[in-house]
Amino acid sequence: MNNNKKQLLGGILGDNIVLSGLMVISPVIICGDTLKNAEALVYAFTAITFLSVIISSFVPRKLPYTVKVILYALISALVFIPVELATQEFFPGVIQRIGIYFPLLAVNSLIVFQTEAKFFRMKRLDMIISLVFCIIGFDAVMLITGVLRELFAYGTINNRIVDINTLISGLSQPFGGFVFLGLMCGAYRFIRGLVSKNNEVRSNADVSDR
Amino acid sequence: MFLIDELIALLAANLILSQALGTSTMFIAADSKKNMLATSCVITVFTTLSSAAAYFIDSILPSSVSELRLLLYTAVIGVLYIIMLTASYFVGKNWFADFRKYIHVSAFNCAVMGTLFTISGRAAENSSAFDLGWYISSGFEAGIGFIVAALILAAAYRKLNSAKVPASFRGFPAMLVYLGIISMAVYSLK
Repeated sequence: MNNNKKQLLGGILGDNIVLSGLMVISPVIICGDTLKNAEALVYAFTAITFLSVIISSFVPRKLPYTVKVILYALISALVFIPVELATQEFFPGVIQRIGIYFPLLAVNSLIVFQTEAKFFRMKRLDMIISLVFCIIGFDAVMLITGVLRELFAYGTINNRIVDINTLISGLSQPFGGFVFLGLMCGAYRFIRGLVSKNNEVRSNADVSDR
Repeated sequence: MFLIDELIALLAANLILSQALGTSTMFIAADSKKNMLATSCVITVFTTLSSAAAYFIDSILPSSVSELRLLLYTAVIGVLYIIMLTASYFVGKNWFADFRKYIHVSAFNCAVMGTLFTISGRAAENSSAFDLGWYISSGFEAGIGFIVAALILAAAYRKLNSAKVPASFRGFPAMLVYLGIISMAVYSLK
């Protein structure tokens, strides 16, 4: 995969915003204990982040950094209003489930800081592709965390009882979230290391007949 | 005994250890003790001053338009952000060059915004807490909690980044597991 492709598609595996960048980890740790919560966060994060970054890309580049950061945060807070109203209308339980982490998604580092450092240095189409993959990367981690923590903490998946012998109730608590995410980060790094080593070996291999 | 009780209360209500708010910011600042202490102090200033502003917002904002709360909090933090940068500029150019990165990191993050929403939520649940002094002291307490959590992390930072830790877990993953263990200890104090 060339560098350009890596930069665009890396949001899922190569440079995952949660597991590699450690961004937006508070909701994953606290709310990611059930699949229902995970779905709620996925919906809220996707809607707020996608719309905010796209709208923020129209902010003039020439403005001072501080002004731009404040504008990004304000745009994101404005985007939050219709998203919250739509949520109340169509998914009434969501806000109650994720509590203060719902508005906090609007000031996540992907919107406020990564826009300036990463997305707005790209062409618009590339930016959208990269953004979508970053969001999918977050969504994947959130859903995996939600499923595994619900399974091992409550013995259910999406509130349906699953036949499992070992329950670790602490996984539903914040400390369980910290430890689980730490282990997930370690596993992710290990797999990424193996993949990149394999690629290196392949690219360094002499395949000529000489 | 009073001090121990206060310390336990501070740990139990700690935003990082009990709500994971500001964890990413703390990890960003974790590479040196100076960065960590400076970031924690700036965050404390932000949480304290913005809590005072949050009191006025909460007292004038009707509950029918509570969706506007985030926007108003963001505007307040934006104004504070500019004031802090301007103030540090007038203190001295060297000071400004050295200090502005901490202000940039501390302005918009979950630690500050989460503090405001947590305080606002607690005040809504308990009307006797709806008082300017209570808002300011809660904001200050949240900042001190951040400093305490930063000190706890700083104590183990070198070991968690040492070559003795397996490469995959070195750094952030080990720090997360470490914070999890501290958080578990704090959870047992509740």
